[in-house]
Amino acid sequence: MRRSVAAGGLFAAGSLMPVSPALGNQAGGQSTPEIPERETRPPASVVGEKVVQPRREVPVLHKTSVLVVGGGPAGTAAAFTAKRMGVDVTLVERYGYLGGLATGGLVLGIFPLYDRSNKQVIYGIGEELMKKLDVVKYGIIDRNKPPVYPTIDAEAFKYVLASMVLDSGITAYLDCWGVDAIVDGKGAVRGAVFESKSGRQAILADIVIDCSGDGDIYAAAGAAYEKVKTNIGLISRIGNIDEVDMAPGRGSEDPNKPSIGRPGEGEGRPSKGRVNDFGGHAGNSTPAPHVNWLNMRGPVGDALDIADLTELELKHRIGTWGNVEKLRQKAGNEQVYLTETAPQLGVRLSRLLDGVKKLKVDEIRNGAKFSDVIGYSGAYANAPAFQIPYGSLVPAKVENVLAAGRCISAEFEVADITRLIPVCWVTGQAAGVAAALCIQDKCKPRHVNVAKVQDLLHQQGAYLG
Amino acid sequence: MTLLSRVPRRLIQLACFVGAVVLVWPWLPWTAAPRFFQQVSPFVALSSSIAKRSIGVGAVLALVVIVVSSFKKRWFCLYLCPTGFLLENTSRIGLRKTRWWGKLPPVGRYVAILTLAGAVAGYPVLLWMDPLCIFSSPFALNKATSAMSVFLVCLGLGVLVGATFVFGMAWCVRICPLSGLQDMLFAMRKALWSRSTASAPSRKFADAKLVKISGASAPEVRSIASMRKPSGIARRAFFAGAGGALLALWARRSGAARYRKSDTLLRPPGAVPEDRFAGLCIRCNNCVHACPTKIIRPDTGHEAGLAGFGAPVISYARDYKYCLETCNDCTQVCPTGALTPLALEEKNKYIIGEALADNNVCLTALGQKECDACEVACPYDAVKITWDEAQYIAYPVVNDKCIGCGACEVVCPTNPVKAIRVWTLKPA
Repeated sequence: MRRSVAAGGLFAAGSLMPVSPALGNQAGGQSTPEIPERETRPPASVVGEKVVQPRREVPVLHKTSVLVVGGGPAGTAAAFTAKRMGVDVTLVERYGYLGGLATGGLVLGIFPLYDRSNKQVIYGIGEELMKKLDVVKYGIIDRNKPPVYPTIDAEAFKYVLASMVLDSGITAYLDCWGVDAIVDGKGAVRGAVFESKSGRQAILADIVIDCSGDGDIYAAAGAAYEKVKTNIGLISRIGNIDEVDMAPGRGSEDPNKPSIGRPGEGEGRPSKGRVNDFGGHAGNSTPAPHVNWLNMRGPVGDALDIADLTELELKHRIGTWGNVEKLRQKAGNEQVYLTETAPQLGVRLSRLLDGVKKLKVDEIRNGAKFSDVIGYSGAYANAPAFQIPYGSLVPAKVENVLAAGRCISAEFEVADITRLIPVCWVTGQAAGVAAALCIQDKCKPRHVNVAKVQDLLHQQGAYLG
Repeated sequence: MTLLSRVPRRLIQLACFVGAVVLVWPWLPWTAAPRFFQQVSPFVALSSSIAKRSIGVGAVLALVVIVVSSFKKRWFCLYLCPTGFLLENTSRIGLRKTRWWGKLPPVGRYVAILTLAGAVAGYPVLLWMDPLCIFSSPFALNKATSAMSVFLVCLGLGVLVGATFVFGMAWCVRICPLSGLQDMLFAMRKALWSRSTASAPSRKFADAKLVKISGASAPEVRSIASMRKPSGIARRAFFAGAGGALLALWARRSGAARYRKSDTLLRPPGAVPEDRFAGLCIRCNNCVHACPTKIIRPDTGHEAGLAGFGAPVISYARDYKYCLETCNDCTQVCPTGALTPLALEEKNKYIIGEALADNNVCLTALGQKECDACEVACPYDAVKITWDEAQYIAYPVVNDKCIGCGACEVVCPTNPVKAIRVWTLKPA
């Protein structure tokens, strides 16, 4: 039985959608690869006490120049950037929407954007995305009000990203989970294997940008990495709540309220382990009126362990429901309801690449300067705004792959900052430029002309100091 | 003495004045220099040694001054004292030229006695009247972070200069406890000297004369003669001493002296217990001056009450400034030992206060922001954002490694109230 791709296939539903080149070819009736139907493929079998999957050919879904795995902040930034430089880009996303943790994870706070003197140090594609949100009603609030960070709306951002992907001409595959790297005889990456409703398929590429967050592709390709465990939470949005109470005596980051350094009326020395009653306000305001987003730190968990992930997915939703019930007991909050819990768990860090350059915590605290700087992170806690070197995106050994987003090469304390949304935009954009330049100059990512990368980033409005 | 008499007195005074400025101002790489400046004063060295029941290194310097000034009257005032030099020159351009203060009682002696008696009770009551402390205090101006601090560090010397300009040299001659102490030392030396050497036979002779005239027995006459003239001074001295001891006990025990016991009263590292600190502290502001992060400031009395007026307190209100884990300077400059000298490792174990988080303000506990600023900032690994499974929230938990350095408080982003703040350590 032959598979026939006709109208109604991926991205071919109507005139609004640009049809991707690969599918366009298929729809155009040209040679279609012989893909056996799932039922006819030999299934895994039990051999003794082991389950064995038979060796089989993986059908090639598509061939591309730059393959971006992961459609979160880093992945979308990388894909848009590379595509604008005129190379063929394919973007693959595990969920049914784009934006990753910024939308599906409800990480709506866009920080850290500013340095210690409240100067914005992250521009480029991130600034462009925020500008697009500026003109969308209820898209973004607290723009250009340092040190208060902007907050975006998840649905507005999904809308902006979806429109941009369709307009850009990027070949995108959603609901498609990158599961393996394709490696040639020399150990260089040639693409990635995906699992989707269409089964297991391969996409061949010259350069792969791993924006999976967990570094799934570089790990599969054999790149060395450090596995870390940290807190995993689940963000939610609560509706029908008044704007966060910023009255004096309460915490806020409003710079117009000088620190008085002592408690307000009726507040005194807090007792140890005082029970939190949310003081009548929980979470922080979002662009949507009377809707707050409620962050959760969560316990330490292994983001690569399905048992941990399952447990947290279940318990976090119970815990969030309980906290909303607690919140409702406060006078004035009786009508508060849980709008949604995030579709995606708030995984902060899992794998950290061992790159050409591992960004060290001492370096960022001492304001280290890198000759291969590709962008800045804003100031966060006791770390000032710091430079991110290109070397932290390049694996130490494996060829043809770049990392961007939270899984780049950095020490844990640094990665705890570079994992944040705007910094992912920065590393994503840099990886996109570098990958496109590799295609144009026919070179490996580690040999790319960094000065040219910096020049291009500069032209694209990125801030490099 | 012969050498001194040849050089003009003004020149020596000027040299000492410049020397004092060099010692107090941190031009020298020697952190502890200001401490040795004040310890030259025998008033400071004696009182603090008695109050602390221990003799400091600087007491040796004071001993030299004690010996010399007991042979040459007011030698210290005339040659060494930079405050004296300043006031002497102020009086030259001042309004009052007459020597009206000659009528004043020797207040300085009573202040000295009162303070020494207080020191015996562990609280040298008026030690802050020492002229060297008053001189060095305004040097902390460059570390003053508020108008109130500027006022407080300049208060002592400002009052002295102003008063001398208007009223003349009354302070130096009659009120200064250091000059009073010197006068007493001189008188004591004279009394001892005359009794032990040449005066013994003549006194015997005089007594014999008296016996002859009055017809009374010899021992009786001797007691009358010795009591008659200094009786008024001795009585006042006795009352001053008793008053000093009582004041000391009152200040140590009574809540009235510390009318407001703030929950956020934090003393610089090495501070002796609060019941003695305000007395032992001479308000020289050396510690204010020494602090590189400007977190030490003189108290208005708001934190520790009347007794603590002008004594140093720590305030972490300024952004990004805390008690650095790389610094123990303030503990090295205290001339009286109100701040015990601590090595860096010891200072990093001295508990200034305890950090406590308020979960109803904390951005993390309220789910407002992804914030772990306090945990990241803590140099002692004492703050951990901890997940509370029962409440299903996370908040900062402070363990017993906390010394209250304030690193968490200064980075806490909440305004106007910090979600994590350092509080006075409550006894368990």
